Amino acid sequence: MIRFLIPFVAVVLFLLEPEFALFSPISWGDQTLILVPRFVILYLIFISIYYSKKRACLYGLIFGLLYDVFYIDIIGLYSFLYPLVCFVAGSTVKFIHQHLSVTTILSVVLVALMEAFLYYFFSFIQFTTIPVSDFLSNRLLPTIIANLLFLIMLGWAFKYLINARLLQRARDNS
Amino acid sequence: MPHFTNKKLILLLVGTIFLVALISFSLRDRQNASVPEQFIKDTVGFAQFLVAKPANYITGIFNDINSLLNTYEENKRLKMRLEDFAVLQAEVNTLQSENESLKELVDKKDSLKDFDPLKATVIARNPDQWEEKIILNRGSSHGVQLNMAVMTANGLIGKISLVTPFTSEVELLYSNNPNYRVSAMVQGENSDVFGLIEGYDAERNELILKRIDSSFKVKEGEQVVTSGLGGIYPKGILIGEVTEVTTDDYGLTKMAYVKPAANFSMLEDVIIAKRTSVSVNGSDGTGTNADLTNGTESETTDTIEGEE
Repeated sequence: MIRFLIPFVAVVLFLLEPEFALFSPISWGDQTLILVPRFVILYLIFISIYYSKKRACLYGLIFGLLYDVFYIDIIGLYSFLYPLVCFVAGSTVKFIHQHLSVTTILSVVLVALMEAFLYYFFSFIQFTTIPVSDFLSNRLLPTIIANLLFLIMLGWAFKYLINARLLQRARDNS
Repeated sequence: MPHFTNKKLILLLVGTIFLVALISFSLRDRQNASVPEQFIKDTVGFAQFLVAKPANYITGIFNDINSLLNTYEENKRLKMRLEDFAVLQAEVNTLQSENESLKELVDKKDSLKDFDPLKATVIARNPDQWEEKIILNRGSSHGVQLNMAVMTANGLIGKISLVTPFTSEVELLYSNNPNYRVSAMVQGENSDVFGLIEGYDAERNELILKRIDSSFKVKEGEQVVTSGLGGIYPKGILIGEVTEVTTDDYGLTKMAYVKPAANFSMLEDVIIAKRTSVSVNGSDGTGTNADLTNGTESETTDTIEGEE
């Protein structure tokens, strides 16, 4: 059962992302804050760190491709970025302590880096013209805070789910 | 430092070239979806629709609670406006009947104003909001075509930018696309003033109405509606309200900031407007720069289809 639960959760998060995006943009005072939900990639980073780097990269490729085709219409952007982020996250396992708080911070940092890369890509192809300072204050910061809140609420659940799967696999092998 | 063998290096290089080629290939033609793309879009769209239903229901409950809390004040405000409304309604009725009889008199059948409304539900919004895009649950099998106007009860929100059999994408008015233009007019006291909505001001979060003839007077608070002259949108859909009038960058024409009437953040149900009179691929169209006066073969057939 748990075997299928891991990809199933990824699918649910993928479908929930645009629903949460409907709340954005939020106007706060005279500022317009844009929150970008990045649930799928956060979950995939957790899989990459606690479960399997290879599996995370594969899921990253699949969901990245779906994301590209369904929302962006530029094929190759997210289907490259998602596996790359998963790969980088999986590669850090050797160097860092795998505590939940450390993983949470690492995930958010990686998402922030991805967001910055996307900003440069989209300003390169002139889809956006906002200056860097606006990007940092109105987009990046709210996005980081929102995703951090999401991970604080659900990070332990991801870890619990992945651990359950690992236990099950160990039992099957023995 | 990871050890790169020759083989790995070549693989990396080929991969990079493939990626760049793929990105530039898909950037070139974004108005049409290939068959596998359409299949993925429809499948994901269906799953998304199933999720959107309960999600909309839940947000609906929250909205209901919110409006319940404001009931008293809203009621007071509405009662005040009700008296004005009755007067306005009577006036509209007389004008409408007069308009109809006059139209009959001059034997004018189709108007730029007429459109067939098609209701659609928003199933998703592009989660990374670099492009302002929403996805609807109606597609070409329901009669949706490229470039149709999309609006809410409050006003215009955008146009259809891509159609698959069961879903369609809407490019919202807040777009950085330089080819995105809406021919609009300001409803002045004495006469209508024409202009083009071109782009938006990211800082003010308002649309920019450009190319207004400087001899005309535009005042703050006047309403901006679509003019129907662009060839695609029906006439008279509310866009917004003028908030500030200045001169253009070159000082030759005026430009005005327009605050959109529609609320863009919580979109749920929208209306797709299919114009009943002939539509052409015009300035607020695909931005193909096609020769419209001498019209190529394909375009002429398009127009004939539109007439039927």
